[in-house]
Amino acid sequence: MTRVERRDKEPEPNKEPTQSGGKISRREFLGMTGTGIAGLVIGGIVGREVFPKQAAPAAAPAAAPAAAPAAAGEGEAAAVSEPKAGYTLVFDPVQCTGCMKCAVACSEKYGAYFHPEETKNTVNLEFSRIRPMRFQYVDVINNCHYCELMEWAEGSNEFPCQAVCPEDAILTVPEGEGEAGYYGMGYKWIDQEKCLGIDKCWRCAEICEDQFASGISFDPISRKAQVCSRCGGDPECVKACPEPLALQWVPVGRNGRFYAQHPTAYAELLYRKMYNKRREL
Amino acid sequence: MADLFGMTGKIARVDLTSGTVTVIEPPEEVYRKFLGGSALGVYYLFKEGIVSPDVDPLGPDNMLQFLIGPITGAGPNARSVTVTKSAYNFISIATSGGQAAAELKFAGWDGIQIVGKASKPVYIAVIDDVVEIRDASHVWGKGVEEVELILKKEVLAETESREAMMRDADLTPEWAALRPVKRKGLGEKRLASVWSIGPGGENQVWYANVITEGARAHGRYGPGAIMGSKNLKAVVIRGTKGHKLADKAKFLELVNAIHASEKNDYFWRSYGTAGIGARSAYVEDAYPIRNWQWCAWADPQVKAIEGAFMDTASFVHKQACPNCLLKCLTTVEITSEDPLMDGTITDMPDWEAMGMVGGNLGYFEMPGKTPSDPFTGTHIDQAENLAKLQFTTALHDNYGLDFIDGGALLALLMELRQRELITPEDLDGIDLKWGDVHAVDEMLKKIVYRQGIGDVLARGTWETAKYFAEKKGNPEIMNYSMTAHRYGQPAHDVRSPADKNAMEYVTVRRPSEHTGGGGAGFKQGDWAAAIAGQNNKCATDSMVSCSFPGGHFAGKTVDLIKAATGWTDFTEEDLFNIGAREYALCRLFDIHTQGLTDPKEQWDKLVPHRWFYDPLPTGPQKGAVAYEGNPDKLFNEALPAYWKERGWTEDKGIPTLETLKALGIDDIAGEIAKQHL
Ligand code: SF4
Ligand code: SF4
Ligand code: SF4
Ligand code: SF4
Repeated sequence: MTRVERRDKEPEPNKEPTQSGGKISRREFLGMTGTGIAGLVIGGIVGREVFPKQAAPAAAPAAAPAAAPAAAGEGEAAAVSEPKAGYTLVFDPVQCTGCMKCAVACSEKYGAYFHPEETKNTVNLEFSRIRPMRFQYVDVINNCHYCELMEWAEGSNEFPCQAVCPEDAILTVPEGEGEAGYYGMGYKWIDQEKCLGIDKCWRCAEICEDQFASGISFDPISRKAQVCSRCGGDPECVKACPEPLALQWVPVGRNGRFYAQHPTAYAELLYRKMYNKRREL
Repeated sequence: MADLFGMTGKIARVDLTSGTVTVIEPPEEVYRKFLGGSALGVYYLFKEGIVSPDVDPLGPDNMLQFLIGPITGAGPNARSVTVTKSAYNFISIATSGGQAAAELKFAGWDGIQIVGKASKPVYIAVIDDVVEIRDASHVWGKGVEEVELILKKEVLAETESREAMMRDADLTPEWAALRPVKRKGLGEKRLASVWSIGPGGENQVWYANVITEGARAHGRYGPGAIMGSKNLKAVVIRGTKGHKLADKAKFLELVNAIHASEKNDYFWRSYGTAGIGARSAYVEDAYPIRNWQWCAWADPQVKAIEGAFMDTASFVHKQACPNCLLKCLTTVEITSEDPLMDGTITDMPDWEAMGMVGGNLGYFEMPGKTPSDPFTGTHIDQAENLAKLQFTTALHDNYGLDFIDGGALLALLMELRQRELITPEDLDGIDLKWGDVHAVDEMLKKIVYRQGIGDVLARGTWETAKYFAEKKGNPEIMNYSMTAHRYGQPAHDVRSPADKNAMEYVTVRRPSEHTGGGGAGFKQGDWAAAIAGQNNKCATDSMVSCSFPGGHFAGKTVDLIKAATGWTDFTEEDLFNIGAREYALCRLFDIHTQGLTDPKEQWDKLVPHRWFYDPLPTGPQKGAVAYEGNPDKLFNEALPAYWKERGWTEDKGIPTLETLKALGIDDIAGEIAKQHL
C-alpha cells in the first residue's frame, strides 16, 4: 500500500495564485482557469476531493522509505523549497534543449525511493516520469499532463487513466497527506501494491496513448505503472532544468487535458509552428 | 570477470554475412589500457587484423565499430565514435554527438562491431540485450532525416509496446459513446535513437558519414561508405538498463560541478561554433575563402558568418547532447527569395560548414566581385548568402556526406574552373562558378548517385585532383588540392600565425584533424606539451566525451573516470598513455595498410602546396605563409624532433619496439612495427 503519512503540521498554501505578483480573488481565479482543477487548493479548499480532506489513510501509515535520497530529508527539502498545492507544470519545448537533466533528476529521485539497493550504483532514466523526446529539430517534453474528464460529457471527473484503472491504483493524495516532496498536496500517485503491472494490465497507459498523451511508463524493476506525482508539489525536474523557461512550476491551475498530446502530435505541431511545414510522424 | 563499472564489459559483434551476433567481452586489462571509444576501436583494428593491407576497406572483411566509453551515458557531454578503415585506406575515427551514444550504454553495450556484408539492405535494432538484423528495404534510398523518423517508431522498449487491452466497457458509457477506444494498444513512445546513412553512404561515396538527429555526424573519414558497403542502412538503439557507476554520488557531484560551470559559458551557450566565424576571418586571417586563395575579405563587412547575424536571420531552436549545457547546435529554417532554398530546415552552420561550404565556395561576395573588393550588398544580400551556405550544409547532411572533404572538393573544382584548368565539359556540362548554389546542387546529385563524372568525384578531393592532373597532363592541378594526407583541410589555416601551426596537421593521428589539440605546444616548438595535448584529445575520444567543454572538465577528468570505473589507482599518466597508445597505433596503421616504404615522402609531406607558396593576400596577417615558408625546417627538423619525443624513429616516425613495449602494445603491434623499422 502506498505510504501515506500525516505531516506534523498542516502545510499552508504559501503562495497565492497570481498573474503579475498582485493578489487576485478566488472568484477571479476560478473564472480564469475553470473549476475542477486537479488538486487546486485555494484558501484551504481542495478542488478535487478524491479522499475527504480529513480521511485517514486507507492503510496504516508505513515507515519512512528505506533510504531517501540525500537531499530529501524532510527538514532539508522544506528548507530549500516548499511543496506547493494548486500548481501546474508548464512546458515550453521550444526552450527545451533535450539535455536530459530533468530526466536524470527525476529518475534519481524515484529510483532511490523505490529501489534504493538496486539503483545504488546505477543511473537509469527509465525511472524518470518526465521523458524528453527528440524528433530531429524539435524536442518534446513528454510528461503526464494531469488531464481531467468532463463530468457533464464523459460521466466522470477523474483523470482518464484513473477512471479506467480496474484496481483504483491511481490516487490523488490530498494536501496534508502523503510524503513531502514525493506525493500529496493534491497530486497524483500510483499505489504500487494495488497496480497489477505491465504484464497483467496497461489500461492506464493505453487510454492515455489512445486519447491523450503518453504520461505513463512502467518501472523496469517492479514493472508497475509510474506517473509524475509533481513531487508532491516540489518538482525536482524544475530545479534541475538549466533553461529558465523550459519547465516552469506556476500557480496557474489548468486542466492539462487541453494541452495533452501524443508525443508525435506534439512534434508535428511544433514542427509546423517553428518551421512552418508539415511532417507526419 | 569482476563486476565492471562505467563500462558494461560487452561489445556486440554483428556478422552481416552469416546474420549472427556474438558477444565480445574485453578483459578489464584491455579497458585499462584503452579505456573505450577511439583507443579501444584502434586496438581492435589491430587485434582483428583489419590493419592488414589485404583487407579491402569496402570489402566484407573490414570492420566498422560504433564505440562509447566509461563516462558515456550519465556522464557529461556524451558522444560516440566510429572506428574503421576508411575507403581512402587510412585510419577512420569519427565522433558524433547525439542521444544515441548514451542510449547504447543504457542498452548494456560498450560498442557494436560490424563485419561481413548483408545480401540485401538491413538495419540493426538493439533493444537492450537483443540485437537483431532487420530488413531495411523500406528505407533504402531515403535521406537520413526520413529514415530516422521511420525507424524510431519501429524500435520500442519491451514495456512500450503491447497489443490492445482496453474495451469500451472500461470507459463510462457517456465517454464510450463520444470516443470509443481505437484498440491500437501501446506504441506512442519514441525513445529510440538512430545512426543512419543517406544515399551518399549507400553509394559508397568515400567521404560519406553517419548521421543522427538530422544534423549530427560521425562526420569525417567516411564511416558511411563502409556502412553502405555492408548494405547496412542504420543502427537503432533503445536501452533501459541504465549506466552502472562505481561511485554514483561522486560521479553525479562531478557532473553537476561541470554543469554549473557550463551554465555560465556564454560563448557556447549563445551560438556554439557559429560564434567563431568573423573572428577567424578578421582577427586570425584563417578562414577559407575560395579554396583558401583568401582567408579574410579586404572589407570586414561580410557579416553572414557572425553568430548574432545568423541568429537574427535564421536560428530557431537550440539542441544539446545528453547531459550537456552548452547546447551548441541550433536548428535553422532558411528564408530565401530562391525557391530552391526557401523553407529548407537544417542546422546552424557550425564552424566547419561555415568555412568549408560557405566562404570556400565563394558564397559571400556580390556578383562580379572578389574577396579583395569592398562588399557592396545589403543585409538582405548577406542573409541570402547565408542561405546558400545553410542550403549546402543541408544537402550534405541529408545525403550523409562530410562537408569538409566535400567542401574542399567543390572548391577545388571551382578554382580549377576559375583558372581554366578544366572546363564545364569536364564536369558533364555543369559550370561550377564561385557562388553558384544551383550548380553545387546539380554537382552533388551526380556525386551522390555516382552519375558520369560524379563517379570520379565520389572518391574525394585528392583523388579528383589526381584524376584531372593525369587527364590534363598538368601536375600543377595538384597544387589546388587543399588536402593534408589526402583528406580535405578543415576550416582553420596554418599560414596565419594566429591560427593553427602546420605541424599540428602534419602530426595529428587522423588526416587533417582540426581538433587534435596541442596547438600552443606546436607554436612554441614544445613537443612534450604538444604531445600532451594530442594525447589528451585521444582520452576525450575514448571516454567518449566532447572537446568543446574541455575547460569545464579541467581537473575533473581523472576523477570522473575513477568514479565511473572504480579504478581508484587510475592516474593522469594512465590517461596520457591511452593517447600515446592510440597515436602509435594510428601511425602504424596508416603506414602498414598503405604499404609505405618512405612515410615522410609518401605521406607526411602530402600537404597543400598553398601553405608554403601562396602568401595570404588580405587581412591582418597579410603576406603570411606556413612555417615561415620553410617546409624543410618543418619536415627535417621539427618533425623528427617530435617523433623522437614520442619515442618513434627519427627517419620514418615508426614507434620503436621499446616504445611499444613500454606502452604495453608490443603484442599487437610489434610484428608490424618490425616490418617498417
Ligand atoms: S496525460 Fe495520460 S497519464 Fe496523465 S492524466 Fe492524462 S491520461 Fe492520465
Ligand atoms: S497498470 Fe496499474 S495503474 Fe495502470 S490501469 Fe492497470 S492496475 Fe491501474
Ligand atoms: S515533478 Fe517530480 S515526478 Fe514529475 S517529472 Fe518532475 S521530478 Fe519527476
Ligand atoms: S532539463 Fe529542461 S532543457 Fe533539459 S531536457 Fe529537461 S526540460 Fe529540456
